[in-house]
Order: sequence, then C-alpha cells, then structure tokens
Amino acid sequence: MVPANEEDLALSRRAAGGDSAAFAMLVGKYERPLRAFLTRTFSADVADDIAQDAFIKAWRAAGQYDGRARYSTWLTSIAWRCGLDALRKERKPEVECEHEHVRPATGEVDDMLARLSQSERASLVLCEGHGWTHMEAAEVLGLPLGTLKSTVARAKAKCRAMWEGAEHG
Amino acid sequence: MADEFDRLLVDALSPPEREADRAFVARVQTQVALEERFASERRSLVRDLLQQLVALLAVGAGAWWLGRSAPVAEWASESPATALAILLATFMFVAATFITRTASRNLLGGAQ
Repeated sequence: MVPANEEDLALSRRAAGGDSAAFAMLVGKYERPLRAFLTRTFSADVADDIAQDAFIKAWRAAGQYDGRARYSTWLTSIAWRCGLDALRKERKPEVECEHEHVRPATGEVDDMLARLSQSERASLVLCEGHGWTHMEAAEVLGLPLGTLKSTVARAKAKCRAMWEGAEHG
Repeated sequence: MADEFDRLLVDALSPPEREADRAFVARVQTQVALEERFASERRSLVRDLLQQLVALLAVGAGAWWLGRSAPVAEWASESPATALAILLATFMFVAATFITRTASRNLLGGAQ
C-alpha cells in the first residue's frame, strides 16, 4: 500500500472509531482539491454544500475505506454522487450547453467549461487539472475506461475549438 | 508537447495553492458533532422502544397467565366490570410510567 494511503487509512479508521480530530485532519487535507473539483464541475454556489455533504457521508462511512484506492479517489466519488443527487433534487437534467448556440464562446475557461456536459467537465477537470489517471477518473465517475478516455478527448477538443475560435474570431 | 492551450487548461483547472480553509474544516466538524448527537439520540430512542415493547409484552403475558388460572377466571366472570377496571388501571399505570420516564430522559437530554 502507498504510504499516503496508509496514513489516510489510519486516520479514517480513527474517524470510524469516533475520533473527530482525526477526521478534521482528513478534511483539512482534502477540502482544497475537492472544493476546486466541485466548483469547476457543478458551480461555486453549490460546491461548498456538496463538499460538506460529502464529508459527512465520508464520516458515516469511514469504516468502509480500505486503503486500496487513494482517499481522494474514494472521497471524490462520494462527492460526485452527492452532486448528481443535488442536481436531481433541483430537477436540473444534465443539459449539454444551454447557450452553446446563443452566443459565441469567449475563450475564457469558465465559459468553455459551461458549454460542456457534466461528465465532460468532471473528466476534464480530474484528468487535466488534478492530474488523475484515466483509470482513477473512470472509477470515480462510474464510467468504463474507454468511455472516460473518449469523454476527455472530446471535452478537450471542444474546448480547443472554442479557444481557437475566440483567438482567431 | 504541451502547447499554449494545454498550459492554459492545466493552470485554470488545477486546484489553487493555499492553506487549508480552517473555517470550512470547523463547519464540517460542527456538522459531524451534530450528526453524532442525532445518531446517539436515535440509538437511545430505539433502545427505549425495544425495552418498552418487552415490558409491555411481559405485563400482557402476566395478565393473560393470571386470567387463565381458575380462581381469577371465576372471579372475573362474576364481576367483569371490576376485572376490566383493574386491567385498565394497570395499563394506565404502565403507560404513565413509560411516558414519565421518556419525558424526563428527553428533558435531561435537552438540558445537556
């Protein structure tokens, strides 16, 4: 097992035993990448609520983390499901770009991401921004590896086209 | 080789470099504490309910067993109103005991 996993596993086991200080260490360690992922994938308005919800679920399920995957992978998969649940509750179906054909792309990253689907955004953020392997991202997003790879490639190609369009347009 | 676009994407999508957000960590800790309190209250409620169910079953079984014995059955058939009154009084006593116990426990829990 990777040493970082061992350390997180030990903290998670302590959390499972009711040690909230150990869990606070895990929250402090992982809130930054998790909230960055959620802000990019969902929106800044809901990212903190989803992150909080995910941490509470991780606390409840602390005994289930077995250290085989990285703690961040395990936590992000919980957060991804929380985010999708939140969207479902708001009855916002996954819309692939509401304003894609309304106004031209500006070439800003936020704008480019807003024109992607939820899973394209999540795949791109994890693989390009957070440096995750395709395998890890596929596991978190619950996608077959091949589908994840093509999703990342498609998302990147779309962004590049928008960026080039904005640069030269 | 990474071009300008690749660099832009990586820079924009990478998590920001900063210290842990202590306010956020404290918020999660507060939620965790609340979660623990609710879970403990839920466990205590279920335990109480089970205890009360067992006690009620025991009282019911005792009454049924007494009612089956010949002298009591004979007396009950002679004065059914009195038998019913005794049964109701016993039931009310048991119910009042449970309610008082649960209420005092809730009061103590709320005061903590």
